[in-house]
Amino acid sequence: MNKSRVVIIRSQSAWAAKGRPDPASMLRIFRKGLEVLTGSSLAEDGLRQIFHPGENIGLKISTIGRGAISTYPETAVTLGLWLAKTFGREDKIIIWDRTNEELKDAGYKLSRSAGSLKILGTDTPGIGYGPEPVVNRSVASLFSKIQAELIEASISLALLKDHGLAGITGGLKNYFGAIHNPNKYHDSNCNPYIADLFEIDLIRKKHRLTILDALRVQYHRGPSYHPQWNDQSNKLVFGLDPVAVDTVGWKLVEDLRAKKGLPSLPEERRQPAYLKTAEDLGLGQSRLENIEIIEEEV
Amino acid sequence: MKMNRRNFIKAAAAGSSWFLTLNQLKGSELLPAAKAAPAGANLSRVEARYYDRLPDREIKCRLCPRFCQLGDKERGFCGVRENQDGKYYTLVYGQAASYNIDPVEKKPLFHFLPGAMAFSIATAGCNVACKFCQNWEISQMRPEQVKSHPLPPEVAAETAASYNCPVVAYTYSEPVVFYEYMYDTSLQARKKGLRNAVITNGFINPEPLAELIKAVEAIKIDLKAFNQDFYTNYVRGELKPVLESIKQIARSKVWLEIVYLVIPTLNDKPEEIRQMARWLAAEIGPDYPLHFSRFQPMYLIKNLPPTPVSTLERLRDIALQEGLHYVYLGNTPGHPGENTYCPNCGQPVIERYGYTIKKINMSGNKCRHCQQVIPGVWS
Repeated sequence: MNKSRVVIIRSQSAWAAKGRPDPASMLRIFRKGLEVLTGSSLAEDGLRQIFHPGENIGLKISTIGRGAISTYPETAVTLGLWLAKTFGREDKIIIWDRTNEELKDAGYKLSRSAGSLKILGTDTPGIGYGPEPVVNRSVASLFSKIQAELIEASISLALLKDHGLAGITGGLKNYFGAIHNPNKYHDSNCNPYIADLFEIDLIRKKHRLTILDALRVQYHRGPSYHPQWNDQSNKLVFGLDPVAVDTVGWKLVEDLRAKKGLPSLPEERRQPAYLKTAEDLGLGQSRLENIEIIEEEV
Repeated sequence: MKMNRRNFIKAAAAGSSWFLTLNQLKGSELLPAAKAAPAGANLSRVEARYYDRLPDREIKCRLCPRFCQLGDKERGFCGVRENQDGKYYTLVYGQAASYNIDPVEKKPLFHFLPGAMAFSIATAGCNVACKFCQNWEISQMRPEQVKSHPLPPEVAAETAASYNCPVVAYTYSEPVVFYEYMYDTSLQARKKGLRNAVITNGFINPEPLAELIKAVEAIKIDLKAFNQDFYTNYVRGELKPVLESIKQIARSKVWLEIVYLVIPTLNDKPEEIRQMARWLAAEIGPDYPLHFSRFQPMYLIKNLPPTPVSTLERLRDIALQEGLHYVYLGNTPGHPGENTYCPNCGQPVIERYGYTIKKINMSGNKCRHCQQVIPGVWS
């Protein structure tokens, strides 16, 4: 069996002034991540292995934590502009999440202008959710029309966080923001819901790349922001196997918890069991022995 | 002629036979000067009741048996109550996603002010997720995802009174999740001499239910099945707390009716219905109405047929055999099972067609034929 490759890129120069990510550093991390992940000597060639020219590409980010703990605009916009430059059209890139208010609170400047990067929420007038629930196993949800209709390929640009119910939240759970009723799917450690949701064609067939934002990691008491348990890890994690990336994300959270003397997630009875469920559904690898982890620094 | 309380009493006294003209008004016709806000425009920020503050800005909701424990910025299963910086808020207070005037028979309440009109209100949200929900377009939504209308408690009560509705009903979605709004509206309605009826799944904790009981006059509970497996697989809830709610309400002075939606092959086993009827007879007595309602395919269960009327009839017979006095069929217009029969002499005391009262043979709260007291709230 071929192992799933997950790439961790660290950078000590990730930050600019005022605790914001440095866009130039972000671009270096993205480029390195894509090179190592795809084995391409040129990062843009790596992107071309994953995406096709002319595709509308969605960057599903996480802004539920608003200004306190969300995907940084410096990260998402840098990636969006790089994709746009590589494929030639800014307005084919959509950076998106559930609501415009959350996007704005997280520091994003909304945009729907022709010719420029699109940044918008599902609640943008004229978008919204599809009219009929999409059903798969335990899940029945209306889908954001951004995910369902406006994009052909998707990147889950998710924050890596401890999660009081799910164990951890990463690239898979990030797609809870693509449906109208995520509040219905937090029982039993969000299992099997996270896996069942990802299995739906509207996600599974469009998802191409996971990038976990682990620049800062909320390793305890997440997903809310608590500065005393938030570590500046300076990492982004890349992978084509969405389950493997989150499995590595879980390891990063556990490593931080162990370092800080906290009990492991299984000890707190919130092991992210949805990863094993996702593997059972054929969505990827949830066992570290089946994952090739490459860590590099830029 | 509209059936209001006065007309009802008059009809009862006269034993007259007449049809009501049900003037069902839709929300948009009730408040013509006001416009519904687009989805996302109206979110209230009123502190919720029944929650505990926990360390690190977490909270634990005590309203329903889910006991959602939430971090900052998180919402409960209901989707309408949110932790904001360690304080818990209801986002739907005074925000009606639906409001209409319906006959109480539509709820259904058959022993509660027959023929009365109920000003009926709902917000977004629900604390379960029934696969057969007929109002999923509001109940399974978060408040941002539905159009809503500002309708503060005093305005709701005033509107009900202005349309001569003797009842305010909290219905359509799940009023437990808009508890604060329902409770405060009930108090306002009472000030105007109106009654309050709650149409609920009964999935609520004893403490808030005890307070609610003090503020309302009638509660209808949807008992979805009499086994936990059904509650797990089709409702995402629990049976036991619902049964506890039924007992708690029956011990109070609030009028109680129970509805059981019969879904072919899923919750229509005769032996289970017999167990349920026995339980009801033993725990709350034979006098609270039980309605067997006909299922129509909808929402996530479209692969099953409507309930055969013969199934409903068989289940009704079982419940009657087990000693329940008032067992009705619902969604079967014109069926004799819609009528109220005197348990003593067997004569019809209220004849119905769908939501319409056809004939009343009662004198006050008694059967006109044999003077048997018929339990309920009649005036």
